[in-house]
Amino acid sequence: MSGLVASLLVLSALSGLLVVLTRDPRRQVYALAGNGLVLGLLFLALQAPDVALSEIAVGTAVTPFLFLAALAAIAMDRAGR
Amino acid sequence: MSTLPWFVAAWLFAVGLYGLVTSRHAVHLVGCLTVCQSATYVLLLGLGFVNGAGPPIFYDHPPGTPAVDPVVQALVLTDIVVGAAVSALLLAIAVQVQKRRHTLDPQALRPLRPSEPAPDR
Amino acid sequence: MSVRLRLVLLGLALLALAPAVIHVALALPGFGTPTSPYGQTVNVLLPDLRHVTNMVAAVNFDVRGIDTLGEECMLLCAVTGATVLLRGARGEGEREKAGHVPGRPVTPRADATVLACRIAASLTLLVGISVALHGMTTPGGGFQGGVIAASSLLLLYLGEGYAVWRSLVRGPVLALLEGGGALLYGLAAFVPLTLGRPALQNILPFGTLKDLYSGGLMIVVNAAVALSVTGSFGLLLLEFMEETRVPSDESVPDEEGR
Repeated sequence: MSGLVASLLVLSALSGLLVVLTRDPRRQVYALAGNGLVLGLLFLALQAPDVALSEIAVGTAVTPFLFLAALAAIAMDRAGR
Repeated sequence: MSTLPWFVAAWLFAVGLYGLVTSRHAVHLVGCLTVCQSATYVLLLGLGFVNGAGPPIFYDHPPGTPAVDPVVQALVLTDIVVGAAVSALLLAIAVQVQKRRHTLDPQALRPLRPSEPAPDR
Repeated sequence: MSVRLRLVLLGLALLALAPAVIHVALALPGFGTPTSPYGQTVNVLLPDLRHVTNMVAAVNFDVRGIDTLGEECMLLCAVTGATVLLRGARGEGEREKAGHVPGRPVTPRADATVLACRIAASLTLLVGISVALHGMTTPGGGFQGGVIAASSLLLLYLGEGYAVWRSLVRGPVLALLEGGGALLYGLAAFVPLTLGRPALQNILPFGTLKDLYSGGLMIVVNAAVALSVTGSFGLLLLEFMEETRVPSDESVPDEEGR
């Protein structure tokens, strides 16, 4: 196994841990985007460009945005009471 | 060393489960669920990897050059996109829970109790 | 159940499962030396059989086409579910005003941002279309292209603000894309049946290797997926954005296109 793949594997394990340990959902969104980026790079190193494309588009752009919009809706609901 | 990917996958799944168990916010919970999901991606892609092989795309290389397993890649590819849509569904449920129950703490939610003094709806 | 009790349960479960997991991890074929013949058979046979160079797309849209049809239905169901949940509580009407959480500053957008977003949005849309169209030859395909095209809508919102964005991006159009894509996929599976062939059998001419037209029926399926994914994610973005607006009868101080 090349060092690149090994280090990306370790990095993805760490970034997954970071997502879980970030308890504030608003900060977790950014941890999640970082995790998506690391996973995308890992998939690229694993010779899966198709999967990497889809992971980077979904994991770093669309999913975090949906989380942010949901959190904004929740914060507005809380502020309105 | 050659078992590292399997342990990373198991680790990601376990860490996600830990987050699910201890989560105090439904949105955080959805985030932990995506970590569990990513464990399956790492496992599947790791299973298909071939040492020294290229991507399973024969545009630049002629067919016949060593390439990694395309089947697991196809599985992961569709799952990433569909999984994001499922996360969106869960987030929509979380927004509705906040609107009806005014809390997102799984500890404070008691779904089976007869509804408390109905808030304005 | 208290958190402590749950943690104890999780710990017990992990302890019970750990030996099995470790055993399986050590018994799996080593990383980089897989033993499954299926993928390598696909790599050897499909370039000749289907005249495509991207094996992942070939597996997705031809070899395991029925499986992808199932995924497509899951996508449709998840997006429909999310839309119904959000609209059910909110109603169908459009709302103009941005919601505002007290105490959070609202920064107006700079002209440079608007320009950068316009350029980036159109480029992203083009990249998305190109990735979707070249799915049979180079990395890409309907799933990735669709998501990239939908994320260009995000950049459009960032640059133009909500009101303009809503006048450009119409919910019914996105819903039509989504449902139409799924319908097209269903038709691609059904038409061979009417000819007395197996479902999703590749009945179109295969075209030439490395050409934009290669893969026969896969091109139709790929286009169906691209339309459906673009529509799905566009609709999700729209519905979640709509959720951050305030009902029109309330008067909340608004900043233009927050």
